[in-house]
Amino acid sequence: MSQTARSSRIGEPVRRKEDLRLVTGKGCFSDDVSLPRQVFAVMVRSTHAHARILDVDTRKALASPGVLAVLTGRDLLADGLKPFPHKPFTSHPADIAMVNSDGTPLFSAPQYPLALGKVRYVGEIVAMVVATTVAAAKDGAELVDIGYAELPAVTNTVAAARPDATRLWDEARSNVCLDADTGDRKGTEAGFARAAHVVRFETWVQRVTGVPMEPRAAVCEYDAVTQRYTLHAGSGGAVRLKQELAAILDVPAENVRVLMQDVGGNFGTRGFIYPEFALVAWAARRVGRPVKWTCTRQESFLSDYQGRDLAVEAELALDADGNFLAMRGSNIGNAGAHTANFSPLRKGVEIMSSIYRMPAANFRARTVLSNTMMTRPYRSAGRPEVMYVMERLIDLAARECGFDRIELRRRNLLSQAELPYTNPWGMIYDSGAYHEVMEKALKLGDWAGFAERRAEARSRGKCRGIGVANYVDTATGVPRERGEVTVHPDGRVDVVIGIVSNGQGHETSFAQLVTEWLGVPFENVRIIAGDTDIVKVGGGTHGGRGMRLASIVIWNSSRQIIEKGTRLAALLLNSEPSEIEFKDGRFLLNGTGRSIGLFEVAAAGTQLKDLPDDLRGPLAAFSDETVNVAGFPYGCHVCEVEIDPELGTVEIVRYSAVDDVGRAVNPMIVHGQIHGGIAQGVGQALLEQCFYDAATGQLLSGSFMDYAMPRADSLPFFKTEISEVPSPTHPLGMRPAGEGGTTPALGVVINAVVDALAGYGVKHVEMPATPERIWRAIREAQTPSPAAANR
Amino acid sequence: MYDFDYHRPASLDDVAAIISAHGDFKVLAGGMSLIPTLKLRLARYSGLVDLGGVESLKGITRDGNALVIGAMTPHATVATSPEVERAIPALADLARGIGDPLVRNRGTIGGSIANADPAADYPAGVLGLGATVWTNKRKIAADDFFVGLFETALRPDEIITAVSFPLAKAAGYAKLRQSASRFALVGVFVAKTARGVRVAVTGAGPSVFRFRDAEAALEKRFETSALDGIRVEADGLNSDIHASAEYRAHCVGVLTKRAVWAARSNPA
Amino acid sequence: MPVLSMTVNGKLVSAEVEGRTLLVQFLREILNLTGTHEGCDTSQCGCCTVQFNGKGVKSCTVLALGCNGGTVTTIEGLATDGKLHPMQAAFQEHHGLQCGFCTPGMIMSAVDMVNRMGNDLSDHTIREQLEGNICRCTGYHNIVKAIQAGAAAMKGS
Repeated sequence: MSQTARSSRIGEPVRRKEDLRLVTGKGCFSDDVSLPRQVFAVMVRSTHAHARILDVDTRKALASPGVLAVLTGRDLLADGLKPFPHKPFTSHPADIAMVNSDGTPLFSAPQYPLALGKVRYVGEIVAMVVATTVAAAKDGAELVDIGYAELPAVTNTVAAARPDATRLWDEARSNVCLDADTGDRKGTEAGFARAAHVVRFETWVQRVTGVPMEPRAAVCEYDAVTQRYTLHAGSGGAVRLKQELAAILDVPAENVRVLMQDVGGNFGTRGFIYPEFALVAWAARRVGRPVKWTCTRQESFLSDYQGRDLAVEAELALDADGNFLAMRGSNIGNAGAHTANFSPLRKGVEIMSSIYRMPAANFRARTVLSNTMMTRPYRSAGRPEVMYVMERLIDLAARECGFDRIELRRRNLLSQAELPYTNPWGMIYDSGAYHEVMEKALKLGDWAGFAERRAEARSRGKCRGIGVANYVDTATGVPRERGEVTVHPDGRVDVVIGIVSNGQGHETSFAQLVTEWLGVPFENVRIIAGDTDIVKVGGGTHGGRGMRLASIVIWNSSRQIIEKGTRLAALLLNSEPSEIEFKDGRFLLNGTGRSIGLFEVAAAGTQLKDLPDDLRGPLAAFSDETVNVAGFPYGCHVCEVEIDPELGTVEIVRYSAVDDVGRAVNPMIVHGQIHGGIAQGVGQALLEQCFYDAATGQLLSGSFMDYAMPRADSLPFFKTEISEVPSPTHPLGMRPAGEGGTTPALGVVINAVVDALAGYGVKHVEMPATPERIWRAIREAQTPSPAAANR
Repeated sequence: MYDFDYHRPASLDDVAAIISAHGDFKVLAGGMSLIPTLKLRLARYSGLVDLGGVESLKGITRDGNALVIGAMTPHATVATSPEVERAIPALADLARGIGDPLVRNRGTIGGSIANADPAADYPAGVLGLGATVWTNKRKIAADDFFVGLFETALRPDEIITAVSFPLAKAAGYAKLRQSASRFALVGVFVAKTARGVRVAVTGAGPSVFRFRDAEAALEKRFETSALDGIRVEADGLNSDIHASAEYRAHCVGVLTKRAVWAARSNPA
Repeated sequence: MPVLSMTVNGKLVSAEVEGRTLLVQFLREILNLTGTHEGCDTSQCGCCTVQFNGKGVKSCTVLALGCNGGTVTTIEGLATDGKLHPMQAAFQEHHGLQCGFCTPGMIMSAVDMVNRMGNDLSDHTIREQLEGNICRCTGYHNIVKAIQAGAAAMKGS
């Protein structure tokens, strides 16, 4: 079937517009941009996790051939650059407030683009060398002589939280920069007091990193006449990057233009400005030529924002029948060296109880600083961690107290009649068919037929296990978004919006919205997002906000265009607006067969002289909305694994998922998002870890040789099904779809792994469930020791 | 990368002449390890001598009871060669599992063993089969060739020209991949040769080594059950973020059995 | 500096390059063929895959001078007469890409796979043979489907 023969409206699996350039090598990623007269920057990074900088001697580097400048923290201060505009919490009213329980203000650890006085993680930038070629800049970088006085380092989350831990910041009382008490302590204590069973689970959700395939890159030019910076760099959103860059450079926002075209993956990694973006801008002004920097993969591992890293202690109280009574515990998030972002901690703790009936809960939530790269939200920030904890607790409860794990879930899962439901933290789940979706997933995963498959696997010497996990996701993010829709008389429609695609296919799915609502050809709709001289407002792509907010502002704009167009059409057809109906791109005069097209109306608006003021000019409208409610996608995944008990290797043999997205604009894209999300969750469960050496703070997983990720042979085909229960909190019923693949994947994979090993008496395997960990779990289950559960 | 002079001679004599004229020149084979090393500035040479133009170093020939593989023969050629498949199918198996298809199109047997990466596959095959490494100066028995971590018996001006593998009565290779690099976390090559059973282990130690206790046991009875209770000591094995020495020692045991199983079911 | 000549996408090109210039740098920086990407520095990701003398290679691990006199095909040279190569068309049809950064390497690797293994590829074979290409967006599901379909479509084309 050809592209044009397909309907391109909402709900259709429309083939993507962007693919034509991407499959032919004509995409334009950050490093593909080169500017005339450009020179190159290379960063000199700290080789120590924690040290005082005694001296930075740049003389030899400056004398190296081709080197134009060597810039240090001292130069940066002299030029008046400012620290990063970190806001540890994105302000969204639907998320819970988190404050120190002793009433003290949150400690803020300022970050400058270059280290000042001290380095606090391996990879922190100490100096920048600018030269005529990359090689010359590297030669220069090798000649920058930095004197360090080494200090003890702490990287481990729990260790960093101890009162006697090495302190990163002399100004702070300890490394704990947030210590909040959340939920209801009294009610929780009461619940535990009457519990028949209490299940306990302690775990560390390890540090991972997003690894978008396109390494970061940036090139910036500075126009001395207009005093304007033009930065080409991929990120989640151009407008936010512009504002962040202006704040660091300490210039008015209008003096900065940010441009980006294709962006090779994000997953949260590109959610915030990076030091290098500010440094190339500053350097461009200093040297008077455009300055380009391209990250090597090894630098990415050191300096890309990392994710997860949460130490959890949790307890679940149940009555004799298995009804959940309460849960409590402690979550410690590891922020890294600066207080960049605490969102994952909050977005996790506020939904610890998932979509289960939980009368009371109480969690202590802390964030600690450590000698590691900063963490920020990584795909589904905070939620995969806590869904993993909840789903592990349920399986442990079933195992320890003798319940069937499906029955235990059925008993406690919220029913449709109970929705909307306010959870113990005050989060209000809007709607959903939680039971139906779980039953669908069990059917899709053929839970009933598992015993037979397990027996067959056993005959081949393999241990087969099955797991199930429900989840809910709280989608908030930056609440404000703006969209402008312009109907051009020549047949084109432009949409200007502050949400840049990082692979989600917005050029296609946003265009489908316009095609649906304005009845215009899909091919003629253009999405403009990556130029801040055109796009003035926008929160970017993150937190399940892309389609959720784009649909609202494009819907509002489209309605205004139809309304205005209707009045214009009435004038042109000598009738009244009430007599006009808009259908399939035409304004129809009721009962006459006469009509006029949208583009003709747009032409009339710009051409006719005697129109009323509000109808004259381009047929365009904008919508600037602040959406203060959260979205709650949810779903259920079922995973089956086979384990080679001799070596401990795991193979995912079946993976089934039912995800409720409210309304799927492009189901092909939604399925793709879920596939990719699952892969990243499986990666965390089985393979991935940012491995910092505890003694030295060195990153030991600093390349693809040591950071393991799923490859094609690590995964099966997925069975994914989309559920569409409209969300009452979104005008079009949509729920986000980008993160649900990942959210339950950690829990469901580990549940399946533990189930496979249940016969050996294994109760838990920590992530990543590597062959060695599985081998040890089997061995230790047979010779029990207290440490067995957490090896 | 630091810059270097690039030479691509067409004959081995010319290669030798360039090398002897310039003390710090390095020989470039497929480049799959050397080029990444240079890119990361972990090594510096004033010149590189690319063997890619020396046609005489490529090709696979049967020489009586031996299979001779030219040093510049890519892994892909070995993996798909009917000659190798007929003579020593386990060697074709091993080659099929090196790196990935794109690496196999460039990487060569000579380059692999000259580099002597402790986790590379070929050293296991070369040592396990008791092959002989031919150079432009001499012939070196596999037992004398691998000296240590990235260290061989090759002298600075010596160039590998071919590897001669004696045909085995049975041979098999089993490995567990390191999940990131996909190199062997542990790989075991077992061969029943005219001069006895040989078991070579890669990935587990600082260099490929022979598992003598297993060889003795298999010499008596070439069956997996002969290996019951035979273990390699964890002491001295590699321990890193991917696996402890203890786990590697365990894997050596399991994979030795699997290599025997593979060898029995696929005799040469 | 030595002069390098080769045929790239059917055109004879030549330029002065340093000994250390990699094929990927020659393509991207000198010929401005930016469809070939660099995603890592350890020859793992496969984003830089091109064909050299008819075989798939990782151009980040090949010296440009080592290709002197040879023939290179990049992603830009795959489509002919403005018509997508069947493998390119299959990637679009089966949604085998999201961000698109790994895609040129995936497609070049897939074409190499078909050249080596034929047109009838099982999903198991595809997954094994795709070991040298990493994607972070798709979970490989649709890439495997795309390659299967693209391989079949290449038959007789």
